[in-house]
Amino acid sequence: MSEYEPKIVSFLCNWCSYGAADLAGVSRFQYPDNFRVIRIPCTGRMSPKFFLSALREGADAVWVSG
Amino acid sequence: MSKELVGSAMVVGGGITGMQTALDLADAGYYVYLVEKKPSIGGVMAQLDKTFPTNDCAM
Amino acid sequence: MTLSEVTSISGEAGNFEVEVLKKPRYVDMNKCIACGACVEKCPKKVDNDYNAGLNKRKAIYVEYDQAVPLKFAIDAENCIKLTKGKCGLCEKTCPTGAINYDDKPETVKLNVGSVVLAPGFKAFDPSVFDTYQYTKFPNVVTALEFERLLSASGPTLGHLVKQSKDHEEPKKVAFFQCIGSRDINRCDNGYCSSVCCMYAIKEAVIAKEHSGGDLDCAIFYMDMRTHGKDFERYYEKAKDDGVRFVRSRVHTINPVPETNDLEVRYVDDQGKIQTEVFNMIVLSVGLEIDGSTIELAKTLNIELTPGNFAQTGTFTPVQTSRKGIVASGAFLGPRDIPQSMVDASAAAGVAGEGLAPVRGTMLKEVQTTPERDVFGEAPRIGVFVCHCGINIGGVVDVPSVAEYAKTLPFVEYTADNMFSCSQDTQDKMTQIIKEQNLNRIVVAACTPKTHEPLFQETLMAAGLNKYMFEMVNIRNQDSWVHKESPEKATEKAMDLVRMGVAKVALQNPLAEAQLQVGQTAMIVGGGLSGMAAAETLALQGYETHIIEKSDRLGGNALKLYKTPKGEVIGDKVAELVESINSNDKIKVHLNTTIENVDGFVGNFKARLKENGEEAFLDHGIAVMATGGKAYTPDEYMYGNDPRVLTTLEMDEKMKSDDSLVKDADCAVFIQCVGSREPERPYCSRVCCTHSVDNALELKRRKPDMNVFILYRDIRTYGEKEYLYKEARDAGVIFVRYDLENKPKVSVDNGNLKIVVKDHVLNRDLEIEPDVISLATAIVPNTVNDLAQFYKLPMNDDGFFIEAHAKLGPSEFATDGVFLAGIAHYPKPIEEAIAQGKAAASRAITLLARKEIFTSGQVAKVDPVLCSSCGICVNVCPYSAPSFKTEGPFAGKAEINPVLCKGCGLCVASCRSGAIHHNGFDNDQIFSQIFAVNA
Repeated sequence: MSEYEPKIVSFLCNWCSYGAADLAGVSRFQYPDNFRVIRIPCTGRMSPKFFLSALREGADAVWVSG
Repeated sequence: MSKELVGSAMVVGGGITGMQTALDLADAGYYVYLVEKKPSIGGVMAQLDKTFPTNDCAM
Repeated sequence: MTLSEVTSISGEAGNFEVEVLKKPRYVDMNKCIACGACVEKCPKKVDNDYNAGLNKRKAIYVEYDQAVPLKFAIDAENCIKLTKGKCGLCEKTCPTGAINYDDKPETVKLNVGSVVLAPGFKAFDPSVFDTYQYTKFPNVVTALEFERLLSASGPTLGHLVKQSKDHEEPKKVAFFQCIGSRDINRCDNGYCSSVCCMYAIKEAVIAKEHSGGDLDCAIFYMDMRTHGKDFERYYEKAKDDGVRFVRSRVHTINPVPETNDLEVRYVDDQGKIQTEVFNMIVLSVGLEIDGSTIELAKTLNIELTPGNFAQTGTFTPVQTSRKGIVASGAFLGPRDIPQSMVDASAAAGVAGEGLAPVRGTMLKEVQTTPERDVFGEAPRIGVFVCHCGINIGGVVDVPSVAEYAKTLPFVEYTADNMFSCSQDTQDKMTQIIKEQNLNRIVVAACTPKTHEPLFQETLMAAGLNKYMFEMVNIRNQDSWVHKESPEKATEKAMDLVRMGVAKVALQNPLAEAQLQVGQTAMIVGGGLSGMAAAETLALQGYETHIIEKSDRLGGNALKLYKTPKGEVIGDKVAELVESINSNDKIKVHLNTTIENVDGFVGNFKARLKENGEEAFLDHGIAVMATGGKAYTPDEYMYGNDPRVLTTLEMDEKMKSDDSLVKDADCAVFIQCVGSREPERPYCSRVCCTHSVDNALELKRRKPDMNVFILYRDIRTYGEKEYLYKEARDAGVIFVRYDLENKPKVSVDNGNLKIVVKDHVLNRDLEIEPDVISLATAIVPNTVNDLAQFYKLPMNDDGFFIEAHAKLGPSEFATDGVFLAGIAHYPKPIEEAIAQGKAAASRAITLLARKEIFTSGQVAKVDPVLCSSCGICVNVCPYSAPSFKTEGPFAGKAEINPVLCKGCGLCVASCRSGAIHHNGFDNDQIFSQIFAVNA
């Protein structure tokens, strides 16, 4: 199990979490590379269909932050 | 005030501050002459590698 | 106008006649295509100024690859043809016939309303010091040379190597501070250059980053001056990262025989002589005014300070001694980039003050490229992948990512660029988009949050709708955060590019709504910076309202005594208040608070409570000049003994010549009270100068008074340093203390007693003062509600966060809201006023446009599908959706594109799928989800 790396699709709000992720880069924080970011204008934009679709496409987890 | 107002300005020096002054004046509606003694504008900041605190590239 | 110098200015403010000498370039700018063929052939090598003389350029050259304008020039002093009459190789090589050896200097006459002088500085040349042996040892370099060595565009492509012949990587680097600054024995620059402490820390940190951390960096300094916003934190972080700080001025450097190393001898804190061997020594050279600038000032009849900077008043910080001529940047005193940006806008604001009646009379029409209609075309996507120097290219395999992108559907063209954001690359991209007939563009580089607008301009220049664009973040969210695993980072970059391509393929051109900008300004705060902003806005012709919560204008300045230049602050504030009150463009609202703000850039509406009554104010822009206040100490017996005062209280006592001050035989100033502490980890910037100035004033009034200043680092930056020297000469005693060993204040038999450890004598020192002045920290006023109304960010200390720490100090990321004064960071009067004027100038650039375009990325209803359920109308926080009342689709929802913020809440809520989101539509987000896995 220790080798297990979940694949995560993350939806980040343009105004806060996406900016925070940029800032993490500016601060040179190092973090795992197993998630892919989709920039959305606001977490209000999140539709249940996006979660389901990401899971169906093989994601192990969906992360929404905003 | 002088005889007749002229709606333009001259900025001497094409470094970071001269460029910003020129941009502000131009955006405010004045014609700007930017005078630089070197062959290109940019000044010293163009020579800097990165800037703190974010260590962004200065270029 | 490049290669140009001003030779004379006649006339007066509002109408100057200027003569400019244009030196010959010997290259026709209209013909030169910057192909570089001439450089290859040119036989003459010259030291390259751009790389601080570390490598060579040719006699025909461009300063650097991103230079603007990107046109070659011949250096007449070194060109063989121009000096000896032979050669001519570049003329033969040039494919466009741009070379013209007969180019002659030309005098151009200009007629202008105002003049701004921004001639900048030059780095101090340390060759004059034999102590540091700069000319003798190759491994002694200046900080500017070191900067170039660290730079990806520098002579070593960012690879740090010694300058001795071995070119090995150094293991130990020493930085020497105050070279050519704070020194009147060996050079004449008595001032502090203000920026060197920070750049030395930055270079040490970056050098360690480049070398993977095991590089030892030691900074030898006198006082560490990190007095700017977030500087103290950077300093603390550098300590944590292992940069060593040694308080000492080094007196000797000796070569270590048989090696290229250097032995440094210095006296440590305890007075002991130490020696240490370093591979490289960096001289943190100061800033000084170039001789040609001094000449220019003489020609223009402008007064200079002892340090040869432009003479200005504390209350007129950018105004030179000649009316109509203002100054900006390092010509006003040694300063960093953010301060130069503040000056720049302030200078523009002041230069425009007298010219408002003729605004716009000399403008020329801007050429815009007509937008190409791409409707019905199959997608032709261009992908540009950026190296960002080594920022991306050092981790991600950029060429492979570009190569990979070629395999993606609809991608017709790919390329990799060194710096995609540079002007030359932008021009190249414009060219490529046109030539390749591309209709959608992906740029994989840094973050869209800072660079999307820039690339959108490139699209527009190429005749594409600016929304046919997607930015892929492979720096901030990839190369910078996965440094240790370049392969994974490259893989991630490919995934992200694939997702970006999938999304942009479905993008359609979008239209933007037009918006009027209300021509009224509202300034929150009636202190100095607020009044300064109001003055500039009003003089440039805009109706301005000042909102002040107290019953009078003036703010903190009302409590201050005098400036270091000797101006009586009370009188100056009274003059400014009078000019504000007598200006019929300015309306002052005293005893007024802001209860709520609605609206958006150009169309804000504030609900005020003015003298207890409700009022409304429509405004196009707002300036936050909300200021700060003195921290109330609970240490050093403050509040328990009336002889312990804060700085502001001390000013009051000095103003009234109170007996507490008049009869005192011994006074002590304690610095950093509440500043540079774990709970307030910032320097309050003004206190050192203020205390030193007050100490001097006490000495002037009563020369035999014993005056002590207990400090951690004295931070009298710039020409304020003269005061520090004057104070020492006048007999003010400076005693340094550590954060771990603070002075102890007690009362003994009714007498105040201070015990502090003296570092030089290495024992406790006892002082019995009659009065103690505490240099209390400056804390920002609490403005959480305003921050909420306008959606403005604040940092941990409660100061507002500006749009960009370096380049946008006087504005917010929120459109139409600007920032000035202590609300930004603690600052002295001249800087607060300059920033007030800078905020006004930035605001005027928006007001002058009269109308703006809002984003095209908004929600849109398909009325055929709308079931009129009304959910969108209910959920929208901005009241953008409403029901149509007339026309064929009456009763269906519609969305006002001006009010819509593009959050997408209605899109996700719509049960009929009737709402589309321009730029983030369902099919686009699905396409990204599908593209996550290859």
